[in-house]
Amino acid sequence: MSDLPPKTSIKRWLVTTNHKDVGTLYLATALFFLVLGGMMALLFRAQLWQSGGTGILSGDGFNQAVTAHGLIMVFWFLSPIASGFANYFVPLQIGAKDLAFPRLNALSYWFYLFSGIMIALSFFQGGTFAGGWTMYAPLNVPTYTPAVEATTGGTITVFALILFVLSITLGTINFLVTIHRSRAEGLGLWNIPLFTWSWLLTVWMMLFAFAALLAALLLLGIDRVMMTQYFATDQGSGLLWAHLFWFFGHPEVYIVFFPALGIMFETFQTFCGRRLVGRKWVIIAMVLVAVQSFLVWMHHMFLTTINLEIKTLIMATTIGISLPFDLMVFALIYTMVKGRVRFTTPFLFSLGALVLFILGGITGVFLGAVVLDYEFRGTYWVVAHFHYVMVSGVTALIAGLYYWWPKISGKMYSEKLGKLNFAVYFFGFNLLYFPMFLAWETPRRVFHFGESMQIYHQMATVGAFVLATSFAIMFITFGHSYLYGPKAPDNPWKYSRTAEWAIPSPPPLDNWSGRPSYASGQLEFVDDAAKATDGGVATETPAAQQEEEHADHASIWPFGIGLGTFVTFIGISGLTPYVYDFMESAVEAGNAEIANGLPAGPDAEPNIMFPILTVIGLMILTYTLFKFGVEEFNAPEMAIAERWPFGGIDNTKMGVWVFLASDVVVFGAAIGAYVFMRIHMGWTEWETIPFASWPGLLNTYILLTSSFTVILALVMAERQNKKGLLATLGATMLLGFAFMGVKAYEYSVKFGDGDYWFSGLEYSLYYVTTGLHALHVILGLIVAGFMIYRVLSIDAYLEDHRPVEYFGLYWHFVDIVWVFLFPLFYLV
Amino acid sequence: MASVRTYAIIYVVLLVLGTAKFVFFEFDFDYWTAISGVMLLAVVKSLLIAGYFQHLIEEPRAISYMMTVAVFMVFLLTVAAGFSIQ
Ligand code: HEM
Ligand SMILES: [Cu+2]
Repeated sequence: MSDLPPKTSIKRWLVTTNHKDVGTLYLATALFFLVLGGMMALLFRAQLWQSGGTGILSGDGFNQAVTAHGLIMVFWFLSPIASGFANYFVPLQIGAKDLAFPRLNALSYWFYLFSGIMIALSFFQGGTFAGGWTMYAPLNVPTYTPAVEATTGGTITVFALILFVLSITLGTINFLVTIHRSRAEGLGLWNIPLFTWSWLLTVWMMLFAFAALLAALLLLGIDRVMMTQYFATDQGSGLLWAHLFWFFGHPEVYIVFFPALGIMFETFQTFCGRRLVGRKWVIIAMVLVAVQSFLVWMHHMFLTTINLEIKTLIMATTIGISLPFDLMVFALIYTMVKGRVRFTTPFLFSLGALVLFILGGITGVFLGAVVLDYEFRGTYWVVAHFHYVMVSGVTALIAGLYYWWPKISGKMYSEKLGKLNFAVYFFGFNLLYFPMFLAWETPRRVFHFGESMQIYHQMATVGAFVLATSFAIMFITFGHSYLYGPKAPDNPWKYSRTAEWAIPSPPPLDNWSGRPSYASGQLEFVDDAAKATDGGVATETPAAQQEEEHADHASIWPFGIGLGTFVTFIGISGLTPYVYDFMESAVEAGNAEIANGLPAGPDAEPNIMFPILTVIGLMILTYTLFKFGVEEFNAPEMAIAERWPFGGIDNTKMGVWVFLASDVVVFGAAIGAYVFMRIHMGWTEWETIPFASWPGLLNTYILLTSSFTVILALVMAERQNKKGLLATLGATMLLGFAFMGVKAYEYSVKFGDGDYWFSGLEYSLYYVTTGLHALHVILGLIVAGFMIYRVLSIDAYLEDHRPVEYFGLYWHFVDIVWVFLFPLFYLV
Repeated sequence: MASVRTYAIIYVVLLVLGTAKFVFFEFDFDYWTAISGVMLLAVVKSLLIAGYFQHLIEEPRAISYMMTVAVFMVFLLTVAAGFSIQ
């Protein structure tokens, strides 16, 4: 049945779209980045052995190592390892055969892998980004970075992050549709396993939080490549970045912690042999935390110029958010008290995680108090706090590795080695991070500290090497098990109850032999075919069953699209010197419009390799996207499933809406940036940039008309009127081109006056916001062109008009954005 | 799905509202009145497009809630950030 090559062939891993394969890839890649990030940490811990440094790293080398360590651990290790578990186990826990969009899932993975390769490459392009993982402005833009540090590598880092966020966005869409619409019969939301619950909330948080980060990164990327000024002014740039980054950043800390929490719940239940105490309340508490996580971001800004009222408010919300956490902690403790505990390796790691989390959480509450934070901010207290909480999460994720290892590999591991691993880990962890509380007066990201603190730093450095050793033991344990371990039964844990344990280890490609159902209150496998002949209610038509059997599992195009995007992004990252030269020539030609004259530029000289890479990348993308678009790939929707609250709509349409929700936040944040900067400079000080408002009005008419033609296209498709469909889609395209034409005229008039995107903050805001919108129009035009081609070549959409509707949803969204851009930039 | 007639009516209304925005700034309204008026028109237009052209009124409510949350997030960020520097 399978169109997949065997697991021993490399090709299998390039073409697979199966959720368990993709999960395995995620886990393996994330562990690789754990090692890479860990090496950085060992490097700078060695530097920190004595005040002033041992000289193992240069000053800039230290900054690079610290920055890359933070970025790699948070983005390329912690989040993705959780994605790995989720890919593998969420479909199993909810009784699905795969994710809703298997090819998109593979694409998520390739975006992730290629983004990781990008950050590795960034070291070799003049050095990676060195301004800390929070990338505070204005140290993140060429203008304000000492010239040696405004490297192409720094820009590659930013684009690597953009690619990573694209990967997250696709994953979010996929999981939201899957968990909401592919649950086995009888599996209501209340009853899904707790790991799946934690992941469901994680992806909901991701949807909104990462969209804000994407906006921030896009603006930063444009600043770095095009020399715009979002983060380069003394007019609120620092605050703008902090708001955008922490609006994402605080939810992010729960995003990385929730999956770990889910694993703690699962393992506590399994190894205490009872249901989690207060399960329902725990779920409610998690939902509360997820909501509250968006209300506290300014506790990372207590030392900025935000006003005291808002600081006080945020202090209150921050204390509020620790309350639901208390409930979860007590639920875990009571489960242990009331159950009969078996101290297996996964349980030990989970218990360790709980202990560490309590310490980390308490020290966080200190930081949430404005007055205390004035003292603690920017010190090792913060470093110690967040390592206790974040690495507590890592501890639970290791618990997950041990817990699910037998299911994934089909082999048992040695408990003896596992326990040794835990002992060394727990000791190393505390030796590394606890002294940081004692050395709290050390400033962060600096390798100079007072004499009296040396002993603590040396303890920490020793601890770091001990902790690293524990990971070596972990890899040995798994390696040993893989080679020599006894075969794992379906369910090696007596009291585990979730569905992944009801099938063989490792699970077969299609997961289930019958259809999983909870209709009777417990898991059963239903044979629908037999049921139908038994005279039961035939719930599936034979055609639907036929389709189920022909699910596809292999496609090379996700890999190709990943590669194309990768090459394009590398190419774009190296374009700054060209833009800077252009800027320089404008200044030399007597352009006096540029605010503050010519700023400091990038480190690199123009290099023709980068424009060439950009073009090659775009060519690869065009080809692979086209192939992806025309490929026959069947990923059947589950015929019988629980779909609350998203019944009555199909998978793809829901996916499009979820995408639009994230795009609302991306665009909204960009518009928000305009509003914020304008408030900062004084709302009415602003001068309108376009030379007149009529081009805006004209474009309003054009876009509205194109929305009308798109809706007519849908009507034509429904009526199976091919000529009408072609005419309306064609008209839409023409209107799109007309829009771009007006825009080009408008820009060219400004250029004629010597007003460029780098001429000042107002110009940057105008060109970038309208430019992002224009980019959306261009993407829409490409899709429209593809659709016309499909109608001409295979009479597409006449039988199934839904794609025309999906396209319309996007196009109308672009129209709505313009509804706001027009007044904001042309009128008020 | 609505009829072509409905779509056409919505389209015309949208054109009128779009023009109305412009009018606010051509005639002598007080600046803040004009802004409020224009923004209100923008919201009405968006609701019409989302409700009728994107068929939100026919979809499950959950979709509308999700989009509302997204818009709320933007407001939250913008308003709170704007307030923080007052
Ligand atoms: C339980 C309640 C928690 C409270 C009240 C809290 C509070 C805070 C506060 C106020 C800060 C800002 C400190 C400063 O920069 O001056 C902070 C920093 C941080 N917290 Fe927490 N926190 C909590 C839990 C967590 C959790 C669960 C995580 C992650 C799993 C986490 C991760 C972080 C990180 C990464 C930073 C540092 C960000 C940076 O690089 O500046 N916190 N925390
Ligand atoms: Cu926070």
